Amino acid sequence: MDRDTLRRLELLNQLSLTEAQKEDVFSFFADRDEDLKALEAIDTENTERMVHVMPIMTVVREDVVSQPFAREDLQRGAPETDEGYWCVPRVVE
Amino acid sequence: MKYETVIGLEVHVELATDSKIFCSCSAHSYGADPNSHVCPACCGMPGMLPVVNKRVVDFGMKAGLMLDCHINRTTTFDKKSYYYPDLPAAYQTTQWFAPVAVNGLVEITTSKGKKNVRIKQIHMEEDAGKLVHDIREDTTHVDFNRTSVPLIEIVSQPDLSSAEEVEAYLERLKTLLRYARVAECEMAHGTMRCDVNLSVRPEGSDKLGVRTEMKNMNSVEAIKRAIEYETARHIDALENGTEELRQETRRWDDIKGKSYAMRSKETAGDYRYFPDPNVMPVVIDDTWFESIKSSLPEFPEVKRARYAEEYGLSEYDAEQLTKSIALCECFEDAFSVCKSAKDAANWMISEVMSILNARQMTYDMLKLNGKALGELILLVSEGKVGRANGKKILGAMFDDPTIAPAAYAEENGLIVSNDTGLIEKVVAEVVASDPKAVADYKGGKEKALMSLFGRCMKQLKGNCDPQMLRTILIDIVNKQ
Amino acid sequence: MMKAYTYKADTAAEKRIVADDMILTKDIPTTAGSKMLEGYVSLFEAEALTRLKNAGYSLSGKADVGEFAIDLLGETSVRGALSVDGKILNPAAEIVSSGEAMAALTLDVNGSVRRAAAQSGLISVKPTYGTVSRYGTIPAACSGETVSVMAKCPSVCREVLGVIAGHDDKDGTSLPEEKCALVSAAAPIRRVAILTDMAEGADGSVTERIDALSRALEASGVTVEKISSTLISSARAAWNILMSAELCNNVSRYDGVKYGYRSDNFSGLDELYTNSRTEAFGELLKTAILFGSDTLSTENYMKVYDKSLRVRRLISEEFTRMFESFDAVMMPACSSMSYTEEAVKADKYLCFKENFYTAPASITGLPAVVTGGVQLVGRAFSEAALLDLAELSAKEGK
Repeated sequence: MDRDTLRRLELLNQLSLTEAQKEDVFSFFADRDEDLKALEAIDTENTERMVHVMPIMTVVREDVVSQPFAREDLQRGAPETDEGYWCVPRVVE
Repeated sequence: MKYETVIGLEVHVELATDSKIFCSCSAHSYGADPNSHVCPACCGMPGMLPVVNKRVVDFGMKAGLMLDCHINRTTTFDKKSYYYPDLPAAYQTTQWFAPVAVNGLVEITTSKGKKNVRIKQIHMEEDAGKLVHDIREDTTHVDFNRTSVPLIEIVSQPDLSSAEEVEAYLERLKTLLRYARVAECEMAHGTMRCDVNLSVRPEGSDKLGVRTEMKNMNSVEAIKRAIEYETARHIDALENGTEELRQETRRWDDIKGKSYAMRSKETAGDYRYFPDPNVMPVVIDDTWFESIKSSLPEFPEVKRARYAEEYGLSEYDAEQLTKSIALCECFEDAFSVCKSAKDAANWMISEVMSILNARQMTYDMLKLNGKALGELILLVSEGKVGRANGKKILGAMFDDPTIAPAAYAEENGLIVSNDTGLIEKVVAEVVASDPKAVADYKGGKEKALMSLFGRCMKQLKGNCDPQMLRTILIDIVNKQ
Repeated sequence: MMKAYTYKADTAAEKRIVADDMILTKDIPTTAGSKMLEGYVSLFEAEALTRLKNAGYSLSGKADVGEFAIDLLGETSVRGALSVDGKILNPAAEIVSSGEAMAALTLDVNGSVRRAAAQSGLISVKPTYGTVSRYGTIPAACSGETVSVMAKCPSVCREVLGVIAGHDDKDGTSLPEEKCALVSAAAPIRRVAILTDMAEGADGSVTERIDALSRALEASGVTVEKISSTLISSARAAWNILMSAELCNNVSRYDGVKYGYRSDNFSGLDELYTNSRTEAFGELLKTAILFGSDTLSTENYMKVYDKSLRVRRLISEEFTRMFESFDAVMMPACSSMSYTEEAVKADKYLCFKENFYTAPASITGLPAVVTGGVQLVGRAFSEAALLDLAELSAKEGK
């Protein structure tokens, strides 16, 4: 983990760390390197990945509309709304 | 030096389901109030879990099969992360590792003949919301109605080489997807959108040039203009060194007729895909697969040929009827009841299609019950209902697809009467009320008889065999 | 005790349940222990809570949690740690211990529930993944987190679990009803294994508990044997990767736009995002986000994230092999019977080490019961049998 990579991670995740926090994060990543080495040592050549721990498949629902939520309720805790829209600072396209 | 253009397309098509892909909100948000079709999931609130809409998978498969793809019988969903205000959870659920369909083929026809365009893959995903920039100067307004509306993205191989081919390809996609009834494919409604990947290289070279991606074309015409502009820009750069080409995303400005490089973030393209733990793999078993396969329509050209051969329809009629799968289905259903392809085609083309045109509906919007139309055609051809009244009944059937024509005709007094007594009574009344017309007719004015005939028919509400009425009318007038 | 609550209901009802603040409640705030969600009120409540209410239980209040429940015991809550004499306490466990609620409904993301039960002398059950709906829980690490129950005795855990387990159409990972019903199915337990590798790093206070539980079980006729598996020890490394990546993705939705905290200080969209998240998120969460994000980068995905998914299968298969000979596997739930504020200050990332003990059940979705300060991991759907063991040992202990 170097400073450039960390800066990129901060940008990607919309976070901005103080210098002290950066030091903590470096030490955290350094600790994790050992974990990665331990994982690398495990032979997974012939093992499929396991995303879901339970072997169920194909959970689908019928194409039926139901809309029990009202806009005013959904926007009650919104920092800024206008004419039924959520608002953000202007995005230039 | 001669150059050739290499084009690949990413086409997004909104699927015509009722509800969204992972929640039960309505998927029909076009023209709706902002944020009126949303739930906590659509606005990125925590705690709701995605459950896949089965019809989205049905439609994904249908699209794949129409485009001659291999269907992945186990298909999975993945998360793609990035920050943008139209993406409420800051991730889009899409298919990265095992899309529903791969390795397809679409045949297109241009002025240069036929050509195959390879399809790399079709994946299912959720749409993003809409941003509105013109309400307030300093603010962008966010509408999540479109969030999670189901899409398929059709990714072609870079097999296209001109604006003409791109147009033919898009038209072919539209036709096939509309035929399978999986999508509206209306660029003006945003239910079909297209990004163009384009590069230019010296003719015959096997090395690809620098590729740019163009967005924001809102019509096929705009796509063609954008391709022509971008091709010229690339050639100019290669020939004259006017600029250095960069791999970038560009925005098409159709009013200015130019493309502009979009401001790109340092982190652009770093999407951190990973399998969605909340969505189980979808396994398409044989029963499911076969039921989808058997539900697919014939291709339009196959239908056209069959209509001409099997039903003896003229080329023109076959062409007209195969313009939309809705017309075909209605025609075939009507034919199955009335057994006369010619009558069915006639009614479809001169009545049904003109009502659609008059009501400014697309052919795909036809909801008429074809079997009922067949019954109506029979009622008219057997003389039980007058042609004019038949049209009236058809109009009613448009408004209410549950109407059974025979019962409706009965209830509304639209059945042709064979009661000569009644006809004679009506004719006698009309004739007695207008001695002048009778005199005129006898004086040699044919027109006067037509006027009497019309009034009698009106009195009889059209429920009379015209020939019979005419005979009785002449008979009574002559007796005067 | 008030500090343990984020919200306390005014109720004299007999059957009271406390929900931790990862469980969404209607009309009452749910904060996930984060400044980001201070005052956030959900428009719907957790399915598990609805089921309890329908069965006649009432909510005594909401218990504080650490930010997104990834820490040791809840010490990273925006309201600060709950502690007595420098010893960190878990809010939900304190409320149950005090008798103000008969049980706690919690989300076990990274083992804090099991550590809390172990250190507070309570019983907890983390049921088989998919048997209790996660609808209405704040998502953190969806592939392994489970709604769990904590109570003073096994019979209450059993009772509450019986109510909340069941198929839910609103959760795409919910198991069919007949599978969910298995959490109440009795089965005999004859052989228990002590996983010796997993005692690594545990202090005397913990090994004592393991010895005590083994003796109690043996006294009631259960065979207890020691076995070894280095593979299970790698669960921590793999789970930290999977958990952090999923967490990173799940908390990316909190951006100061739709609801929750928004910074006062921004010009432009990126500043709005960055300042809101930077000001509202705590340090542990930020580190987990960055780490998780890194595991998913194009460069790392195959060798780190995908690798962890494959190791998960190996661990799962290893458990299956062990369950051919044993009915349950015994291991610590934590390295020590208490954590001090001092220790956490000295190692901010202690929770990423302490989950050495809890990660095996988290990463596999297997059920885990904590009793007598020790953790028992069983076959899928063996909750009833594991709680039988807890009852047995409690009787022997008396």
